[in-house]
Amino acid sequence: MRSVRRRRLIAGLLLSPLPSGCFASGGDASSADSPDGGRLRVALAFPPAERFSPYGADATLLSRLGVTEGLTKLDANGSAAPALAESWKRESDRTWVFTLREATFQDGTDVTSSTVAASLTHATQARPAPAALAGATLTAKAAADQQVRVTTADPDPVLPLRLSSPGLAVLSAGAYEKKGAVSPVGTATGPFELTKVNGTTAATLDRFDDYWGGRAQASGIDATFTADGMARTNALRTGEVDIAEAIPVSQAASLDEGTGRETATMRTTSLLLNTTSGPFADEKLRAAAREAVDTSALAKGVYEGHADPGQGIFGPALTWAEGKRVTPSGRVRAADPKGTSITLATYDNRPELPEVAQVLEQQLEGAGFTVKLEVREYSRLESDVLAGKFDAFVSARNTMLDTGDPVSILAGDYTCDGSYNLALLCDKKVDQAVARAEGEADTAKRQDATMAAEAAILSTDAVVPLVHQRIVTGVHASVRGAMLDPYERTLVGTGTRP
Amino acid sequence: MRIRDETMGIRTTLRTCARGGGPVLIWRIALATLLLCGIGLLPWLTRTNPALTVLKARSAERAPTPEVLTAIRDELGLDAGPLQILGQWLGGLLLHGDAGSSWISGAEVLPSVVQALGASLLLMAGALAVAGATALVLCARTLWLGSRGRLARRRTGGSGAALLAALPEFLTASVLATIVGVQLGWLPALGWYGPQWMVLPALSLGLPAGAVLGRMLDDLLPGAFAEPWALAAAARGLPGRSIARQALRRCVPGVLPNLGLFVVGLTGGAVAVEQIFDIPGLGRSTLQAAVAQDLPVLQAGALALVLLAAASGGLVRLVVRLLTGPALRDGALQSLHRPSPPAPRVLPLLYGAALLAVVALGLPRDPLALDTKARLQHPSAEHPFGTDALGRDVLARVAHGALDTLTLALAISAVALLTGVVLGFLPRLSGPLVDTVNAIPPVLAALLVTAVAGSGPATPALAVAAVAWGPLAAHTSALLQQERATTHLLATHALGAGPLHLLRYELLPAVLPPVTRHALLRLPGTALALAALGFLGLGAGPPTPEWGLLLAENQPYAERAPWAVLAPAAVLALLGALAVTAADGVRWPRPPRRARPPRERRPGTLPDRILSEPDQPHAGATPTPRKEAATVREGAR
Repeated sequence: MRSVRRRRLIAGLLLSPLPSGCFASGGDASSADSPDGGRLRVALAFPPAERFSPYGADATLLSRLGVTEGLTKLDANGSAAPALAESWKRESDRTWVFTLREATFQDGTDVTSSTVAASLTHATQARPAPAALAGATLTAKAAADQQVRVTTADPDPVLPLRLSSPGLAVLSAGAYEKKGAVSPVGTATGPFELTKVNGTTAATLDRFDDYWGGRAQASGIDATFTADGMARTNALRTGEVDIAEAIPVSQAASLDEGTGRETATMRTTSLLLNTTSGPFADEKLRAAAREAVDTSALAKGVYEGHADPGQGIFGPALTWAEGKRVTPSGRVRAADPKGTSITLATYDNRPELPEVAQVLEQQLEGAGFTVKLEVREYSRLESDVLAGKFDAFVSARNTMLDTGDPVSILAGDYTCDGSYNLALLCDKKVDQAVARAEGEADTAKRQDATMAAEAAILSTDAVVPLVHQRIVTGVHASVRGAMLDPYERTLVGTGTRP
Repeated sequence: MRIRDETMGIRTTLRTCARGGGPVLIWRIALATLLLCGIGLLPWLTRTNPALTVLKARSAERAPTPEVLTAIRDELGLDAGPLQILGQWLGGLLLHGDAGSSWISGAEVLPSVVQALGASLLLMAGALAVAGATALVLCARTLWLGSRGRLARRRTGGSGAALLAALPEFLTASVLATIVGVQLGWLPALGWYGPQWMVLPALSLGLPAGAVLGRMLDDLLPGAFAEPWALAAAARGLPGRSIARQALRRCVPGVLPNLGLFVVGLTGGAVAVEQIFDIPGLGRSTLQAAVAQDLPVLQAGALALVLLAAASGGLVRLVVRLLTGPALRDGALQSLHRPSPPAPRVLPLLYGAALLAVVALGLPRDPLALDTKARLQHPSAEHPFGTDALGRDVLARVAHGALDTLTLALAISAVALLTGVVLGFLPRLSGPLVDTVNAIPPVLAALLVTAVAGSGPATPALAVAAVAWGPLAAHTSALLQQERATTHLLATHALGAGPLHLLRYELLPAVLPPVTRHALLRLPGTALALAALGFLGLGAGPPTPEWGLLLAENQPYAERAPWAVLAPAAVLALLGALAVTAADGVRWPRPPRRARPPRERRPGTLPDRILSEPDQPHAGATPTPRKEAATVREGAR
């Protein structure tokens, strides 16, 4: 009798419906074949960190999903192209006037000069300020006739590039109504409208029919955020998603033929040498380290060919750099390391980096250094690097910052006042060269000055460019029109369809 | 009639549990408070800037300029100091049920933690089901033979369990996801949308857990079958199934505390599986919060786990009382020991020889020489175990890693065993401590240890040992509770034996062997736990050929170069099997009987005992018939 009762209890437990609340919602992708263009399923690598705040890293997510737009955008050559602004002109050193196009916000209101000015003003007041505004102060005022006048505190020859940053996207007045968090849900201008956010696991987007650039082909997007690279690859291979972002090098070989699309990116993996303290304060030893490095072994052996051997701080993704490169001059002769011991640090957030560091370790030891390797999680490493506790550091850095201007990475990473100077470099010639490039307004001359500054930095041997990574995006064979760009700012556009 | 009996039983059980519960409850609350305070002070103790870690979690590429950091400090109100922040958080929680907002995203903590906890609990439930099935399968042979009285001829197994227990979760998970999910397409390979999504993650978590539980159970079962009631039941003609069921019931209380620990451990510590299958669980969110020092999320997550630990601990105690309550109270249990020590076997020698051969063959090779032109090569004459992703010889790496891995893992296991047994003998003190320590996610435990001990070379070992003793202490306490209620102990006590004598000659010999086998079973897990701390900058980093590290660094290539993960996984499993079978070998009944009198006195049946203990002629003689009858009743009910 007792056992019968017990059995009943167990059966009851088993039959009680599984608490559906304990599963993640948003799993049904049944609407993939609706008559009006299918929905696109996308697996993104980085979950929204700050509830899609347009001022942080989530801004890039919004821009990649085609939700937000700024006044300008970057074209394939890295110059500013019209987006919400039809045209612009520089009125004076500090003042630019942008003329807006006829467009509507996703909440139905019109894009007017006053809403745009208000939106930019909100961005300037955000704390911490959007990365694109680092070191710049600007004020935006509405002018007559769909025009916005933007004034900067210092002369800013690259303001249109700066305004292409996803962090300076234009949102309607509705986005700022709630106190505390700015909401891009239904308040942006892009071809897709964010309709539902499911924590940090998924988001649902619908097509915005009144988009100024024409209706998108896909009727919507189901985005999932999958941090694990292998899981993303598996999702693509099982057909659970149409597009999977950032396939790890180790998994790229397991994709079907034609599914992995390579894009040269602005991401450069480099070896940064501590120029202030330790053995690499001696530039002869830095030269020895540079000569010891075989970049093609890294590109082929570690990145399996999904990378180009290091050419400079900027890789082949910066298309205009080709033909403008300056050979570094005045380098010193390498000295024999004679067993000098060094600490080489790197982080494991990108799985290739520890492998790169181990190959480098062998190459450097072959040249006569004694190497100790230190691998940690990035946030546990960075402050020690900035404090100069390591002699060498392997880092993968996106050389196109939010400012959209290549010079800014040179200024930030390699000048005495640079805020992210991991090589702890402070060199007069470099500072001068970078300052010259920063002050140049004419596009062609600015590009020349940028490459000259790059050569000045390279000739100090503070940085040894290792590889320029090509990012592999998994795109299902049936998908058309995925927008893969070297700046990693777009992914889905009006022409993308499943 | 029966129903009233039962309700009364529950009532007395509850009363017994409540009695003396006051100090334990206070101790429990004190521990939880200590944990929360420890988390609240974490950034200040480790001297890492929370504004910086939060910034990096929000946007890894953002330059940490002073302006940005100040803005974040102001936003989070960090300048108020740790005590005030902690006080505000506690106040909000206690007064308004508000656990604050995440420092990273600004979202409210409570809903997200509750949601993650729900997913994790479901995953844990699935894993437990798998673990239960695995444990039963592992015990099936013993149950079958035992219920038919044929255990005497049984050779102890354990290799299978040891192999399963040595399976690293992340490896099982990625292999299952790739083969069953992607290549065969039988089950979804990622996501968390419904019951069919549960199967693969539950399998990867449940198999090793079930192996540990099954092995522990299998260790106890022969003792139960040798008890007089089993003989009586068999003689009376009860079917084998009933006897097997009662034997299980007799042994389960010894394993339940560890099951309770798995409940909590799997809920909060399934990070790798959550990552590979993309499950929005608590393990991942607390890991992220721990790395980013997102204190409100971390505190809420830890609190949820501690509460879960207290609940599951309470439930386990209740069930144990229900299953063995009257017998415990009356001191009417038998000692659960194997009637005869297992026969000597060649198996451990075989395993040992295989392991030695691998090490001997690999030692002359260079574990660090890499050749990027010979990556991921098949096993061949030149590279018997193939090469890894950087073209290094896998055999050489496995062999060279053996020494480091083995010594460290063995040392940690020994420390954990010692601590576990000592604290296990003080169940009132250690019970809540075990629950709390076990509830802390491993990464958080490592961070807390680092906060206290600094990041010296011994820190990783300390961090692993700080958690590893828990299950052993729980096991010790469970066995002790039963042992103390045995008839022979009562008798020895009645004959005037002092507590020290009891400890030395009765309790320790009864408790140590199974707990030692348990510790050895967990040896591979210890090696893996060490490697898992590497990313915090603790423990061995690349290019050291430490086994856990070998597994982790080759895991992404598991599909393309299975040999690179299979080799370290195989030696780890071999180590587990060797440890477990050798533990049986330690008990070889070698002739010099006088050399180890306490062990020889362990047999469970009474006639044996009396014969072998001429110095205690009346041991248990008088009380036995009544007590034994009680045990039979107890067992047969």
